[in-house]
Amino acid sequence: MDRRNFLRYGAAAGALFGAARINPDFFFSSAYAQGARPLVFLSAENITGNWDPTAHTTLSQTNIEGFVMGYLTRAPMRPEQPDEVVYELATEITELDAHRLQIKLREGVTFHDGKPFKAEDVKATFEYGAMADRPKQVYPGPTDTFEVTTPDDYTVVVDTSKGGYGASLFIFLASYLPILSATDVAAGPKGPLSQRLNGTGPFKFVAQQGNNTVMEAFPGYFRGAPKVPGVTFSFVGDATTRMLSLMNGQADVIERLEPEQVETLQGEAGIKLSRLVSVENKYLWFRCSKPPFNDPRVRKAAAHAIDRSMIMEIMGTAGEASNNFISPIKFGYFDIPNYPEYNPEECQRLLAEAGFPGGEGLPDLEYITSTGFYPKTKEYGEVITALLQEQGFPVTLNVMEVAAWNERLYDRPGGGPGHMVDCGWSTGSPEPDLVLRTHFHSSAKRITGIEDPEIDAALDAERNAHSMEARKESLQTNLMPMLADKVPALSLFTSVLIHGMRADVDGLFIYPDGQSDAATTTIA
Amino acid sequence: MFILRFLARRLFQGAIIVFLVSALIFTLLRVVPGDPVRLMAGGMAPEALIEQIATDMGLRDPIWQQFGRYMGGVMQGDLGQSFVRPANGAAVGGASFDDTTRSERAEVLTLIAETAPMTLQLALLAMVFALIIAVPIGVWGGLRPGGWPDRMALYLSSLFVSLPNFWLGIVLALILSVKLQLMPAIGYQGFAYTILPALVLAIEIAPFVIRTLTVSVAGVMRQNFIDIAGVRGLTRNQIVFRHALKNSSVPLLNLLGVQFSMLLGGVLVIEFIFDYPGLGLLTINAVMQRDFPLIQGIAIVTAAAFVLINIAVDLIATAIDPRLEY
Repeated sequence: MDRRNFLRYGAAAGALFGAARINPDFFFSSAYAQGARPLVFLSAENITGNWDPTAHTTLSQTNIEGFVMGYLTRAPMRPEQPDEVVYELATEITELDAHRLQIKLREGVTFHDGKPFKAEDVKATFEYGAMADRPKQVYPGPTDTFEVTTPDDYTVVVDTSKGGYGASLFIFLASYLPILSATDVAAGPKGPLSQRLNGTGPFKFVAQQGNNTVMEAFPGYFRGAPKVPGVTFSFVGDATTRMLSLMNGQADVIERLEPEQVETLQGEAGIKLSRLVSVENKYLWFRCSKPPFNDPRVRKAAAHAIDRSMIMEIMGTAGEASNNFISPIKFGYFDIPNYPEYNPEECQRLLAEAGFPGGEGLPDLEYITSTGFYPKTKEYGEVITALLQEQGFPVTLNVMEVAAWNERLYDRPGGGPGHMVDCGWSTGSPEPDLVLRTHFHSSAKRITGIEDPEIDAALDAERNAHSMEARKESLQTNLMPMLADKVPALSLFTSVLIHGMRADVDGLFIYPDGQSDAATTTIA
Repeated sequence: MFILRFLARRLFQGAIIVFLVSALIFTLLRVVPGDPVRLMAGGMAPEALIEQIATDMGLRDPIWQQFGRYMGGVMQGDLGQSFVRPANGAAVGGASFDDTTRSERAEVLTLIAETAPMTLQLALLAMVFALIIAVPIGVWGGLRPGGWPDRMALYLSSLFVSLPNFWLGIVLALILSVKLQLMPAIGYQGFAYTILPALVLAIEIAPFVIRTLTVSVAGVMRQNFIDIAGVRGLTRNQIVFRHALKNSSVPLLNLLGVQFSMLLGGVLVIEFIFDYPGLGLLTINAVMQRDFPLIQGIAIVTAAAFVLINIAVDLIATAIDPRLEY
């Protein structure tokens, strides 16, 4: 064979291979041809690779669970009625006494795998979700602090006598923890729970295809089959790409709009925006288990160095001012009177008292933040850095892409990486302990690493209160002022969730934690 | 026999290049900051667990030992498993520290085999578009050296080369996809999704093709055999298309070989902007997640592609101009 023939045969083989790659549909079907089509939701965050709902605290995956899983109740948490509860798998919740809660369940509901929903599923979910080795922080206490009995297939009684806390805590938990199938739970954390989602929600999990989570309408959904044939939930890392997808009609819903994107989209025909005060506050978390922020005076000095009104100017429509460690739509919120305000004199006084006059003697401090997920983190991170430097804190801002920041986020033995970290915390329930206990109790201390017996006692006291009123009082007169005094973290503001969606998408209900209810959604 | 000797020699040289690239990438990945085990195990993992996983995986052995093991696998076609990605290929984020329930990790070879054809399709289409844009402008400029077609070729090249590809990508998506609704832009659901990113890449490549063609066509047109062709009675079209273009194509071929290899190496920015699921997007995610086996696998595959493309280019060049020796 000479080289000309070699090339000729090579080219023919290449053409043959290439022809097989061409999609013939392209030549006769328009990319915009649409019949009944699934709802396309673009997410700003990736998933974890483990479908067990108790194995993560990742928002995007929680949003997927919102489509697939069923909950005993749902909490719409609108500012005008923050503690409203809508019954879903539960039909009635009654406090039998301070330590016993009775939950009546809906009949005729089935899981996507065909298993009928019964009391055993609720019992299995509560017991499994509260196990100490489950990464998702579930309050009010571990499995051995409560007992779940099932008098019949559709009644559950939760008894918290052993734990000493009020059973009413399970009322808010009901809208946070998705109900798992007892059969899945029995197979343990290495069983089917980690391989796929199986719920009672309007959409059935079909497959994970690359970065696309494919769900299809569940015809047996107890509120009636959804109108759209499915939901495709995709991770798209770039904010501009998500916006362009919405504008050209490839996406129906996108999340976490930047303020300037809001301005762009406001003028666009065919696009509407949803703005919701969320359950998420954004925090500056201090690494409390290592110097210098193991000293509450230094933490408080840093808090007094920060002018939060400047941050609000940067956030624009994407932030809402608040003066508490929880969102205004959570149970127990009030403006804490001693919440640290911008006060350079007080900052200097505290620094001097801690032995660092004018910041002298402080070690080099690393402030870790992310870019690409939360709006404006880099921009307000630079402002916070400048304000802290102005008061003598030798701070360096380290802006990371989401995966690297995620890797450095949590506490570790000896203290997590860096000295301060930016992060939000969002939980789909009015329950304040899902934030407060998760982050400030020494048994959890997710990011701060704080171990403070006084805070632990205050958290236990409010949890153990025997009525909702007593609990609110304990929160507002004891725990919250104490947190404002010890400042294990500084809540900067409450996030406003801004979703962009196509104008022809109707009936999509968005919860303040970012989950959506598309059971009655239509696409014109 | 020439072809066999040529292929044997070049493939041997290529294997050495791929080996050296692998060694370099392998060493660099292990000396840069960022512990992949921390990413695998999750943010809350205690140090003892991190060390245990790292030791179990052999990541605390000397680099040469790790490299030896790795190359042993590569020789048998095993590029290893991704540190981070589950078998379904999803990009994943933070999870718990001792989460033994994560799905099975994906094979690097499978991930590359799924994404490489996408990038190959994009690269081929980009080259076709680039030639459609550049050949008429470049040839015309070369036929009129110093004239206005030559100046126009220069101005257009300068314009194209100064457009940042991320900006151009967003603008073209806005105009062609959002405003005119001519084609889709984001993700991949079919061949149509390749057009827009390919167009952006073509505009990026076109200036180099234009300049190369302008210069080489002008050079060939000054040769004696072109003048003699006129004397032989050939028409201008015959001279240009049958003789001048053929002789000008060798430098162009070399350029296209290099450009195509670079495209296959992962068109990072473009694939990220268009969320195009090719090698570029895979590479970006792999780098961000410190997914060593995946980065190494991509490096080896693209180095091998580079070598093979260059062998093909040299073969074609000798076919066009038998005087060339490689």
